[in-house]
Amino acid sequence: MSEILSQEKSIYIQIKEKIENDILRDILLEEERVPSTNELAKAYTINPATAAKGVNLLVDEGILYKKRGIGMFVQSGAKRKIMEKRKKNFYDDYVKRLMAEAASLGITTDELIDMIRENDEQV
Amino acid sequence: MNKIVALGIVKRYGEKEVLHGIDLELEQGKIYGLIGRNGAGKTTMLSILSSQNPATEGTVMVEMTDNAGSTAADEKKDSQPMIIREPVWENPKALSHLCFSRELNTMVGNSANTMKVKEYLKIASLFLPHWDQKMADRYVAEFGLDTKKKISKLSKGMLSMVTIVVALASGAEFTLLDEPVAGLDVVAREKFYQLLLEEFTESGRTFVISTHIIEEAADIFEEVIFLDEGKILLKEKLEELLERAWCVSGREDEVDRATAGYTQHHVERLGRSKSVTILAPKMGGNGESGRADRPADTDMECGRLGRQPGLSWGGADVTVQKVSLQKLFVALCGEEH
Repeated sequence: MSEILSQEKSIYIQIKEKIENDILRDILLEEERVPSTNELAKAYTINPATAAKGVNLLVDEGILYKKRGIGMFVQSGAKRKIMEKRKKNFYDDYVKRLMAEAASLGITTDELIDMIRENDEQV
Repeated sequence: MNKIVALGIVKRYGEKEVLHGIDLELEQGKIYGLIGRNGAGKTTMLSILSSQNPATEGTVMVEMTDNAGSTAADEKKDSQPMIIREPVWENPKALSHLCFSRELNTMVGNSANTMKVKEYLKIASLFLPHWDQKMADRYVAEFGLDTKKKISKLSKGMLSMVTIVVALASGAEFTLLDEPVAGLDVVAREKFYQLLLEEFTESGRTFVISTHIIEEAADIFEEVIFLDEGKILLKEKLEELLERAWCVSGREDEVDRATAGYTQHHVERLGRSKSVTILAPKMGGNGESGRADRPADTDMECGRLGRQPGLSWGGADVTVQKVSLQKLFVALCGEEH
């Protein structure tokens, strides 16, 4: 949880994605407490209301849950949930853009598939 | 104190009218950013809000929940707390919760000049009933301020530090800071934002901060107020404001097609390309560019929250990017009138 905030996206979205990334990377474990909005605000020098907006989105998605008077916790199964969600968005977030850029450069779909295979063999 | 409410504030210095009818509500527990160009009236507005300067017309009120009178009569659980509004002017109770920490300067004739920092802070503590000396000492140490120095001998940065110490240690529910970071170096500015957030998260006090260093302070604001030539141009939650501001660029005709119906701000041209900043209407309300002539479907699309930046907008071949607060301010207030 130490990445730098960028200008490209709304801050609360970035806070949300950072917590998701930390869950995916096992920096935050399931059933573990996540930093409070005040802690997040101080860590990133952002307004606590902004941090709360990001955290609340994760509560709405069932990734985090609130324990009254104690704080926010990672829901069990959260990691799986995030992966599923990101897989669903993969087409929109990556494939579409890849295809658009390829099209504007005159790269055919077959050439693109070859590139992916080539890369796969190198790894 | 729940709110400070300014109603129709007009300020004239002789012939010159500096503020032209300011209506403003400041709520408890928020950090506001006050942004305006030099001479827009920021300092005048802050000094009037804190009753350090009389308004020519209009009033500044405080809204309080009355707990003092709640005794036997209020024992019924359903009784509503009484909300009362009182003028701030010459109102000791309201004034005790207000602190306007002015920018210090070392101009000749400034009576604070001959004082040592220690003495200046002592006087501040006498005028501010909720003063926290421990906190003041801590901030002085954090900034490494030499309290034995005379005000007149302080550098710009140190003057800013004194202003900040007074504001943070004042304990006032509504604290107004006029360009607190103006003289500070980048490390001290970061320190200030940290200390401010620390105090804010612990106390929930309200802070109004005017600044010209918009970009680095933007993330700490919950709401921003743009003051332009003595008028409030907008007051809005920062996140919501930035979600309806876009920079659209591309070939001129495509940009015009994509942004048809919007007011184009900050138009820049380079050869065939053009870039403009636009502000989509507020959700559920009339935006800055009220556009009755635009077809309903595109209207919906452009005003939609969470619209992603990218290529192509409304079928036009353009690049759409998010706009930073600083860029938006320049686009809206930087045009010559």
